[in-house]
Amino acid sequence: MSLAIETVDLTRRFGSRTAVDRLNLRVRKGTIHGFLGPNGAGKTTTIKILAGLLRADGGEARVLGEKVGTDNPRARQRMGYMPELPKFPKYLTGRELLDLYGRMYGIGKERLREMVPRLLGTVGLREREDSKIGEYSKGMQQRFGLAQALLDDPEVVILDEPTVGLDPVGMVEFRDIIKSVAGKGATVLLSSHLLYEVQQVCGEVTIIDRGVCLASGSPQELSSKLGRKATLELEVLNLTDPMVEEIRKMPSVEGAAREGAKLTIKLSTAEDARPQISRQVSAMGGVIVSMTQTGTGLEELFMQLVSESGKGEAR
Amino acid sequence: MSEPVLYRFMAIVRYELLWNVRKKKVLGLLILVFSLATLSLALPVALSSIYDRPLSADPDHVINAGAFLGEVGFFLVAIVISMNSVSGEFESGTIVPLLSKPVSRTTIFVGKLCAALVTLSAAYALLFLYLAVGGTVVFGPQNNLDLVPVLFAGSIASTFVWVAIVMAIGSASKSSLTAALGAFGIWLGLSLVTGIYGAFSGETWILTYIPGGGATGYIAQASGGPFSGPAVRTGIASIADNLVTLVLHPSTVINFPQVDILAGVTRASAQFYTESISYVVMLSVIVAAVYIVVFSLIGWFALKRAQITE
Repeated sequence: MSLAIETVDLTRRFGSRTAVDRLNLRVRKGTIHGFLGPNGAGKTTTIKILAGLLRADGGEARVLGEKVGTDNPRARQRMGYMPELPKFPKYLTGRELLDLYGRMYGIGKERLREMVPRLLGTVGLREREDSKIGEYSKGMQQRFGLAQALLDDPEVVILDEPTVGLDPVGMVEFRDIIKSVAGKGATVLLSSHLLYEVQQVCGEVTIIDRGVCLASGSPQELSSKLGRKATLELEVLNLTDPMVEEIRKMPSVEGAAREGAKLTIKLSTAEDARPQISRQVSAMGGVIVSMTQTGTGLEELFMQLVSESGKGEAR
Repeated sequence: MSEPVLYRFMAIVRYELLWNVRKKKVLGLLILVFSLATLSLALPVALSSIYDRPLSADPDHVINAGAFLGEVGFFLVAIVISMNSVSGEFESGTIVPLLSKPVSRTTIFVGKLCAALVTLSAAYALLFLYLAVGGTVVFGPQNNLDLVPVLFAGSIASTFVWVAIVMAIGSASKSSLTAALGAFGIWLGLSLVTGIYGAFSGETWILTYIPGGGATGYIAQASGGPFSGPAVRTGIASIADNLVTLVLHPSTVINFPQVDILAGVTRASAQFYTESISYVVMLSVIVAAVYIVVFSLIGWFALKRAQITE
């Protein structure tokens, strides 16, 4: 397994408080990896270490095999970083600052002439490229933050709460940009407390609390590991008892209950069984009006893990 | 193909210069020094008018006015240029995206120092041009205008000592206010302590080694007492003036009185030591260089070790 980001027993303390406690984070190349945790879990501290803004007290962190340190420019050469609520010099225009940041990456003038307008266009700031950043709204500064993180087509993009302060349209646009960046082969580490957002874009997640890694993997893998079982709720036209009986006989189905046109199916796994159920219902003449899977969502997982972690701490 | 280190370094210098200009730092600086320059040119004219005495031609006005800003002026200019160069980035949070770029912190610090030097040079170049032209207009044709670049270089050296000190304190404290007040404290504290020590011990030479005006001596004259000649100060603030004296009168010898407060008097004419102007200039240039290097290293080290904890 080729890793883009790897931390081994990463530890960081602030006085007597351990913000990151022997964290082993593994982010595979080419994935969008969600980094989840409640407030104060150690997400931003970990990211700051990866971005070279903080030193670790123990363990080590590597980005694309390069050891991360507070002054190792090589580690940052192939990495883009968007801090939480980024701040930029107010007296420079968006185009000037992106051009200067690009030069700091060693990008030649010719390439910058093409790259700067393209990136500003990608984040929807092309029309404001000659406005001073001090005149940008909070959301526009967030957008600029994403643009500067995408300079030089980085192989690893680290985003710390990137959609804070964005309107719903902006959030959707951000998610699309993140997907498109990953679609070109980049690895994205996305720290967020918006579980819905993470579920929308991330194939894998790491959940931490109190600086400790609670779980890591795809949401389905985590659900299986935690012994979670999915429940499907369907509304079906032409629903019949023989149809329910046939569904009960399916391998991953533990039970099924009918109430008028509504059908509740309890599954024995956390795997996504919607395609098989859908096929079975259709084959028997049923028409599915709606189908929702519950019990394996990131939110349920997150709540279970964090709540168990809290109990463990209390004990 | 990635561009070389110099290209990235120039990006930092440009980033800082653009920021300086847009923050109206340079404008503030120009207003400050040009107000002082205008005052130095206009005051004799105003006084001659008030007292109804004709203003006589003074062909040495520009060169005698020298680095007229003095130690307070150099200090203020340095504060304007550098008090928030590093610390301001920490205070505003703009340091975060900057430090996450693939440039070393050494490049960032040296780039900021260079930008301060460029800003300072531009301001002083305009200032001395203004003084040369203004002096010629007000006081008639001027002698030794070819020495104006010497005044320029000396003033840069004197000011840059304070730039290095202010940036070092700013990098270490991450606070612009602390940078300004800390530098002021160093200036005041060292001046007071060494001044008092020098006065009580009679060892006024110690003032030469602090970033201020230095010890006061008098150019030795063929006739009169040892302290009857024009006064000369040995500190880093007087590098420009002393350089001009060195060029025009290289054999100048300076007499330094040894003060004894406990005895209640300045000791008699026998109680003095002498130094040549070349030695005074050399020593003040070395002291300035040591301050610039040491405080630049402190500032660099502080930035190199800085962490973003908030």
